[in-house]
Amino acid sequence: MEDILVPIIIVATLFIGLPWLILHHVTKWKTSASLPVEDERLLDDLYEFARRLEDRMHTVERIIAADNPEWRPAIRNDRDIESDPRIGTPYERSK
Amino acid sequence: MEPRRTKYYLDKQNAKWMGVCSGLADYTGIDVMWVRLGTVLLTLMGGFPWTLIAYVAAGMMAKPKPTDLYVDAEESRFWQGVRANPARSTRDVRASFRDLDRRLADVELFYTSRNTSLADEIESLR
Repeated sequence: MEDILVPIIIVATLFIGLPWLILHHVTKWKTSASLPVEDERLLDDLYEFARRLEDRMHTVERIIAADNPEWRPAIRNDRDIESDPRIGTPYERSK
Repeated sequence: MEPRRTKYYLDKQNAKWMGVCSGLADYTGIDVMWVRLGTVLLTLMGGFPWTLIAYVAAGMMAKPKPTDLYVDAEESRFWQGVRANPARSTRDVRASFRDLDRRLADVELFYTSRNTSLADEIESLR
């Protein structure tokens, strides 16, 4: 009895269980990891808008800073410091 | 139709042979040297000939990367982040919008408060 049952179980796990497991994980990975086309396009647009707005904001802040010496735009990132030598590092400002 | 940003492409510009390893490096953001080293080590440690078959199959099936896919390195890095973790990249974009909102609020506050001080001066001159 055992001579028949054991190979059947092994064959079943190898040819049904294993592909099942792999396919199950492949489908799960595909649905979770990949971004739908429209979401990808939306994210692309938003990212581009954010960058463009940041550039404009930067320009506006520099214009205001040039007109009003008492106004200092807050430092957000390294790029602000690089492009505007007047601002200086946060450490210098706090002194 | 515009090319997808979350697809795997062969990177022919930085290719040594077919651009599979450099494409993988470009896809994940891992340095191309480590990808190549890993591939070679995997092949030497018993992956032969499967790694070679996988390499050639990927080189045959994947399309070369369009040259104008990304404007600059920063955008390329952003999409590497998206491929690794879309949710985090979305949060990053939201954070940059929030940052913009704060900066704009600073500017607005500066102009509105200055106008009130100007109005106070005019008032005192009367």
